[in-house]
Amino acid sequence: MPRVSAIQPTDEELLARVADGDRDAFGDLYQRYARAVLGLAIRRLGDRGRAEDAVQEAFTSVWRAARTYRRERGPAAPWLYAVARNAIADRGRARTEPPAEPTDSHSDEPGPPEQAEQSWVSYRVHRAMEDLPENERTVLELAYWSGLSQSEISDFLGIPLGTVKTRTRSGLHRLAEALEEELG
Amino acid sequence: MSGPDFVDLVGDEGTPEELERLRRAHRMLIEAGPPPELSPRLSDAPAAPSSRSSLVPRRRRGAAFLLAAAVVASAFGIGLLVGDRNSSGFTQVLARPMHGVGQLASARATLAVGEQDSAGNYPLKMTVRGLPSLEHGGWYELLLSKDGRPTLSCGSFDVATQGVTVRLSVPYDLSKFPDLYDGWVVVKREPKQRQAPVVMTT
Repeated sequence: MPRVSAIQPTDEELLARVADGDRDAFGDLYQRYARAVLGLAIRRLGDRGRAEDAVQEAFTSVWRAARTYRRERGPAAPWLYAVARNAIADRGRARTEPPAEPTDSHSDEPGPPEQAEQSWVSYRVHRAMEDLPENERTVLELAYWSGLSQSEISDFLGIPLGTVKTRTRSGLHRLAEALEEELG
Repeated sequence: MSGPDFVDLVGDEGTPEELERLRRAHRMLIEAGPPPELSPRLSDAPAAPSSRSSLVPRRRRGAAFLLAAAVVASAFGIGLLVGDRNSSGFTQVLARPMHGVGQLASARATLAVGEQDSAGNYPLKMTVRGLPSLEHGGWYELLLSKDGRPTLSCGSFDVATQGVTVRLSVPYDLSKFPDLYDGWVVVKREPKQRQAPVVMTT
């Protein structure tokens, strides 16, 4: 079952309804973004437990701040990203232990600007995946994140190899379209 | 950073521009890595703060009235304890772990919600460990909760041993979970005592 189809409300429409106190819309928005925000939080905080706390705080902030969103100023995804990032940063500042992110200047790890860029890309990719038709998303997840070959995906899903290839290509097309801004 | 081979995945058919566009999406997928799975704790949206609007939306106030009536009804035992004999046919649609609080912090339970039956009831199955058997006619009561506060009774039970599985059935619309209620608690009841301390929570 596709999580989002053409007849589903857009993120902007959901956010407008959240601003009016619509809890169902809030739940829908949560389902679309929760994994992306959790990924962002884990990347920033380096700790699953605190990241989960941050996700809940982030969405509580979304509920509270939804009225400040202005559709004419841009899409909902960057707005939600900013709200989530602030909530995650607040959670990071609240900790007493040393930061999880590397601060050693000699480290090979990417610096803060690169980390921020990677976080944004991951957030957008994860969010965009939520919008793909189920059959395309499943094939991409198995290929990219489960390490299955096309033949293994064919066996696993019980569908012809040609269908796997068609869905893979179609899914990548949709993803590229959704990520057009990041692709430049 | 590693991932599947682009050509293996999509072949080499298409214009150079199209292939380059797909290749960039391919790279971003690899760079992003898999999103984390949501734990049961994050499976539903957090309870929205009540300061912005009333707890129950206007269009649901009729339903809230029915639920209030259900509270009264359940107080008279509609939450039915049916034991564990009908173990077949239970299809779980929701599960929540529960843990003890206070002196019973080591107690654990798993609460499973089954599919709504044709009469509109939801079966519940709860496996409890670590709660002591109560003396002097005491019993435990399972209640739905909202923001940690007990709301609707889901029935009563006792534990004769350290581990017990009980089955209950409730008439409430649990599809509203976690909107009207977001968890469960177990309270301890004792005869002639108005206080019912919470001993377990989700």
